[in-house]
Amino acid sequence: MKPRWTRVLLAVLLVGQLFLLAAQTPARGGDPQTLLASVTLRLLGPFARLSAATGEAVRGAREATRGRAALARENRRLREELLELRRDRLRLAALEQEATALARGVDFARESPWRLRAAEVVYLDHASWLKTMLLHVGPAGARLDQPVITEAGVVGRVIGAAGGYAKVQLVTDGAAHVGAVLERARRQAIARGAGAGRMTLEFVPRQIAVEVGDRVLTAGIDGVYPRGIPLGTVSSVAPGSELFHAIEIEPAADLARLSFVYLIERETPPAALRSEAGDGLR
Amino acid sequence: MAFAKFLAALAVAVLLHLAGTRVEPLFPLAVDLFLLVALLEARHGRPSGAMLAGLAAGLVADGLTGGPYGLFGFANTAVGYGVARAAQQLVVQRSTSLAAVFAAGAAAQQAILAGLALVFRPGAELAGPEWLLAKVATTALAGLAWTRAVERLAGGLARRRAGRAKPMELPK
Repeated sequence: MKPRWTRVLLAVLLVGQLFLLAAQTPARGGDPQTLLASVTLRLLGPFARLSAATGEAVRGAREATRGRAALARENRRLREELLELRRDRLRLAALEQEATALARGVDFARESPWRLRAAEVVYLDHASWLKTMLLHVGPAGARLDQPVITEAGVVGRVIGAAGGYAKVQLVTDGAAHVGAVLERARRQAIARGAGAGRMTLEFVPRQIAVEVGDRVLTAGIDGVYPRGIPLGTVSSVAPGSELFHAIEIEPAADLARLSFVYLIERETPPAALRSEAGDGLR
Repeated sequence: MAFAKFLAALAVAVLLHLAGTRVEPLFPLAVDLFLLVALLEARHGRPSGAMLAGLAAGLVADGLTGGPYGLFGFANTAVGYGVARAAQQLVVQRSTSLAAVFAAGAAAQQAILAGLALVFRPGAELAGPEWLLAKVATTALAGLAWTRAVERLAGGLARRRAGRAKPMELPK
């Protein structure tokens, strides 16, 4: 474009815009919105909308990210809380079991004809060939051959004591012997540990009628256990030899699940007398 | 092609203006992207193109501001023409001179706007001098930065083209 025409165009544009401005002055009154302004507004509207939408989208994405992070934090906190509650529930269940066992034990000790002393089982070895158990008996200690029972039945006898601890031979130990009596037949016999949680009842003549389920009690003839404590029940009967039955007994006390036991405070015959009588029942 | 570039630049200016206003409401007081678009076009030394570019950019600015329509249009048209005429007469290479051209354009626009406001809106509240200085400074810096970036890009492209076009030398 020639410079002259350019100048003319410039003048036209500037004058035109001056007229436009003059037409919008407040002195003239009326609507200041001109057709050109309206058209431009329509053209620019979409840009403004796009900008606003972009801003909203960015803000929304930022808030969504923040929300996700907050949810993840809350989820982690809730998981930790859940674990803590589960631990609490397990603790409470254990406490409830212990309280129930103690209550049962208190009842048993109150109704028992013997003077009993509770002891805590701290170690139980009923899996190896020597079936023993370690007790915490308190400062009073324990004496040798002191009977150990639960509310269910006989557990064993003390074979060693030191300080507040005592070692107990379980009735299922292979070297354990207990003077026993069949409750229904009123026949005395000798119960012997057979390992693996079992006992056998020996010297029961075949003439005696023995059935599975018959209760076996202590006979009170061995100098260790008082009379009438449940020892177990007959779990099998077979013809052992020409003279005697072969009887297996399931112990009355569940030796695998012991937490508290009781020592029977009872005088035992002097050792010399027991030796004279032939201490073959140990 | 030049017209398409101008339209693209104007669209980018609109978006940046709207985004800047959303982030900081005082953004339009400190930065005039439409004037920058007009000045960048005017630097090529074509008065008619610069004038029309200033007109378009100014009218767009008028559409986005609450003032009377034609205020920025008039000012940017005049500034675009003036800077284009100046660019025909001067060869500006140094950064300070280039920044001075952009600053002068911004200052002239502010002066024209103030004059028009006095005439057509006597009661209008004008921006404070600190905002006028801020606008002049931002226009100068943004114009300088943009020009240098484009020159660097163009130089890099030219060097790559020259490297590719190098004739193969045969062994003697």
